[in-house]
Amino acid sequence: MTTTKPAPPSAPPSAVVHRATRSFSALAPQRTRHTLLTTAAVLAAAIIWAGVSAGSGTVLIQALVTGILTGGIYSLIAMGLTLIYGVLHIINFANGAMVGLAMYLTLTFVDGTGGMHPYIALIVVVPAMLALGAVLQAILLNPVMRAPLQVQLLITIGIALAVENILLLVYGPNPRSVALPGNRAVKIFGAAVELSRIYALVGAMILVAVLWLVLQKTRTGTAVRAVSANPEGARLVGINIKRIYVLTFAIGTAAAGAAGVLIAPFSTIEPTAGSIFNLTAFVVVVLGGMGNVPGALVGGFVVGLTEQLGALIMPGQSSLLAVFIVFLVVLFARPTGVFGRAS
Amino acid sequence: MRRHFTLAAAAGLAVALALTGCSGSAVSQSGGGASSSAAGGEIVIGALHPATGAYAADGQQMNNGAQMAVNAVNAAGGIKSLGGAKLKLATADTKGEPETGSSEATRLIQSGAVALIGTYQSAVSTNVAAVAERNKVPFVMDVSNADDILTKGYTYSFRLQPNASTMGSLGFDALQNIAGDAHKPVKQVAFLYENGAFGSSTLASFKSKAKAAGVKLDPVIGYDAASVSDMTTQIQQVSASGADVLAVAGYYRDGVLVAQAVNTVKPKLNAVFGVANGAFDQPQFVKDAPNGGDGYFNANYAIDRSNPDALALAKDYQAKYGETMRTSAAESYDAVKLVADAIDRAQSKDPAKVRDAIASTSYKPMAANKGPVHFNDKGENTNAGLIATQILDAKIQQVYPAAGAETKPVYPAPISK
Amino acid sequence: MNNRTFAPRTVLQERTDPVVDAVAPKGAGRTTVGNRVPWDYIVLVAIIVFGATLPFVATVSTMAIAMRVLVFAIMGIGWNIMSGFGGMFSFGHAAYFGIGAYSTALLLVRFEISPWIGMLAGMAIAALAGMGLSYLALRYKLQGAYYAMATFAFAEVLRLFAFGNGPLHRQTGFTIPVRVEESFWMFQFKANSPWYYWIGLIMVAAAMLVSIVFVRSKTGRYTMAVRDDDVAAAALGLNALRYRLTAVAVSAAVTAMAGTLYVQYYMFIDPSLAFGPSVSNDAIITAVVGGTGTIWGPLVGAVVMGPLSDLTTAFLRNPPQWLAPLAGHDGVDIILYAIVLIAVVILLPKGIYGTIRGKVTKR
Repeated sequence: MTTTKPAPPSAPPSAVVHRATRSFSALAPQRTRHTLLTTAAVLAAAIIWAGVSAGSGTVLIQALVTGILTGGIYSLIAMGLTLIYGVLHIINFANGAMVGLAMYLTLTFVDGTGGMHPYIALIVVVPAMLALGAVLQAILLNPVMRAPLQVQLLITIGIALAVENILLLVYGPNPRSVALPGNRAVKIFGAAVELSRIYALVGAMILVAVLWLVLQKTRTGTAVRAVSANPEGARLVGINIKRIYVLTFAIGTAAAGAAGVLIAPFSTIEPTAGSIFNLTAFVVVVLGGMGNVPGALVGGFVVGLTEQLGALIMPGQSSLLAVFIVFLVVLFARPTGVFGRAS
Repeated sequence: MRRHFTLAAAAGLAVALALTGCSGSAVSQSGGGASSSAAGGEIVIGALHPATGAYAADGQQMNNGAQMAVNAVNAAGGIKSLGGAKLKLATADTKGEPETGSSEATRLIQSGAVALIGTYQSAVSTNVAAVAERNKVPFVMDVSNADDILTKGYTYSFRLQPNASTMGSLGFDALQNIAGDAHKPVKQVAFLYENGAFGSSTLASFKSKAKAAGVKLDPVIGYDAASVSDMTTQIQQVSASGADVLAVAGYYRDGVLVAQAVNTVKPKLNAVFGVANGAFDQPQFVKDAPNGGDGYFNANYAIDRSNPDALALAKDYQAKYGETMRTSAAESYDAVKLVADAIDRAQSKDPAKVRDAIASTSYKPMAANKGPVHFNDKGENTNAGLIATQILDAKIQQVYPAAGAETKPVYPAPISK
Repeated sequence: MNNRTFAPRTVLQERTDPVVDAVAPKGAGRTTVGNRVPWDYIVLVAIIVFGATLPFVATVSTMAIAMRVLVFAIMGIGWNIMSGFGGMFSFGHAAYFGIGAYSTALLLVRFEISPWIGMLAGMAIAALAGMGLSYLALRYKLQGAYYAMATFAFAEVLRLFAFGNGPLHRQTGFTIPVRVEESFWMFQFKANSPWYYWIGLIMVAAAMLVSIVFVRSKTGRYTMAVRDDDVAAAALGLNALRYRLTAVAVSAAVTAMAGTLYVQYYMFIDPSLAFGPSVSNDAIITAVVGGTGTIWGPLVGAVVMGPLSDLTTAFLRNPPQWLAPLAGHDGVDIILYAIVLIAVVILLPKGIYGTIRGKVTKR
């Protein structure tokens, strides 16, 4: 067998292209309408229940706004994860460590440039992470792409361990922080919000848009989608699959890098600062549909709102309990995520 | 073919097992060096702390603190009753994992450690306490606050710092006294706590004290310290409740999130009051929190700033390691000094005798205490005390009890500016 | 059902372990049953007898590491039955490990019931829980990575449930009380007693025995047939669901045994130690490094990976000259561990045992 990726064996090249154009499109209207209605109904019920439990309109609005904003953060972090899963079928355990690495790079950039605006670090951090991702995929992961799921998983676990402890070694264990110039609180319908978190949400949306455009409108993007939908077919039409793998992992890592820069201003920067999001990010990816980039945004909102409303409804329990229960229910009800799988 | 292979595999496995055995004894030989040198006069104390992982900042400081104590004892002539025998610190990284703590404790004991200190995390200490008890080697906990560790009838484990429920009740006393002195008695406290063992047991004892004093405790909100990423809703709840004080029992990262949210929501509060909070008395917090965390209180076990020796120690630490000494490092320093003193009085390296000497200690610690360390029959330090600090003018200052205070508390605190 | 829904399944299935095909290919023709001499059993007995001598030659601290190897081995063997032979990738084996540990601790601490009874109860509950979850998952067509995520979420729900549940002692967990005298029935001996090791070794032997019997049995071979091609298996009239659930039940019960051994030896369990994600990772690492879907792989994996972190730590405690600058820096040992892990997995993607056996049998 020389196949790099398993696939339905006999798809003709034309079908590849056809299927590829369908993939990564977020909403398949027919199937989704029903889901959307159900989701809306459940959400409405949860909001009313949470409002009654909280006994305060301001608290409820705050919970909703915070839910959306933290949801934005979660989807930001999950973006690279879902892209990598969608194309490479790798459960990337190193995603959180990459976010942590990007936070430290931001810190180094801000300190090294004598206090430049942290968002400017994107110019440096994103290309650096892009390169790192390409190297990791080319050297460590490409040789084992034909092996089962768990082999790549173990390699990413190893990468995560190494990255976190290198950060510990280089930067020491003390927590650090990066200040965002001009950061202040604003009011939205009575809810108080830090500007930095709004910027992160906007950043998540821009990132989705950029990834979507790259995937939909560029030749490379089409190739990536083709590999995702049908690697064997893609190979037959002359696409260099290994190169696409390298490119995808690089883009996914760069997305994690962008996330790290954007959340750095309101995070406590420690070697484990990114990996605390690992659990949540997995949930977001599955809820949004593995490999579905816009879906990750919706998945993030679902998790953020569940966490906030769940904390109001069940005050004694961990807010994660609500998240995982919702997760299991959705998983069984719609095994391919709220918005379906990408390919 | 298959048959041959299975046989070959069996042979391979046998070799592998044998290698494990050998390499295992290699491990012990490297430790064995310590025990042979112990015979030549060195006395080994084992220090178990999380030098890697999420708690590495404290873990590494604690190893440093313990090393400073060893250096101090050796510089002062070693253990006098044993002919000036020198101390040696054998450190082990628990990686924050209880199993690793357990196997490393076993290794240290086997390599001749006379006593163990550690471990910063209650779950790890629980395992190490069991190992110590069953090997009959004394174990002095520098930091580990879960009450449960010492309710099992263990006789070889001791704890220097106040346990979680002591911190809850002493924390309430501190709050009430500070507010009372300012003639603004506490009416309603909102309690925010991390829902792990530490936060929960602190809450329980704080609650019973509040009830006895007739102070309303509402709302009481738990959160997941490991995963929380925003506290705004919780602070909005606090704001809506009309509480005049927010008490927070948590760790560093979540403490910063609380400060961010308080700065965003700007609730009307007389004080944000940490109860053994892991953030509100850290120098780093002054850099990380909005407005430098100005006005934040914390009732916590701490370096005794009214003790010149303790101040000198903190200064030495700063000079040697280039960072501010954390209380946890001072506790490790105390633990080693206490053990050294016990060895001296026991006039022996026999762990059982050292244990007896530890049990009857009256060591004067660097950490704020109500008096010399005194262990009850459970192994708790009955004189373990805490002080309250407040961040004023970007400095963490001791404000309670009045006896050792560096300055007077500002209450209501200037937090919502 | 359309193709899109099934896509993930195809992925895992075809990617699942080519190694096993060498051991037990489709159809039953070349399986071990064909051998007249049951070498697997003989080798197992030899290993156990040989392994039992370890306490006579090894030091106490080596034995502490050996205990971890035994726990890893049982977990890896358990994981391998379901994920290696059964083809269902479990990312949440902590669930079964934790159920075993908690059943044992709960019954012992609250009701003074022997850990052996607790172990059997834990095995039964774990098997039922695994079957329940997998029944739902298979019924709703959760496959591949989606199935993995369901198992992951299940373990997390258990962790969070234990975390907030009073009778389970919430965050505090259970500490096994120290007894005055040793007792087989209560599974407690004095510290560093070799009996812990020997009992653990017997548990490993039992787990291996289950594994070998499973692979040699009709059920086992049908399970692998279903894994390799469930459409063909269904065409032959095999009840895929039944074989898959059997594999899950056996796997969960074996893994629960590790929980009992863990809690009796370390004498402490709390929600994260029992159900935390790193426990699941340990099971996967052990099996994959040794060789997924091979009988002996998990055992090899445990012997290699169990002591590895101690070896790297010991190595850097007294490093060779050229590495001396790295000594004394915390975290270097973990970086070294990670490098070894990555190297082993890349160089031997079929696992240590799997790759060697592949080379030998090809010749």
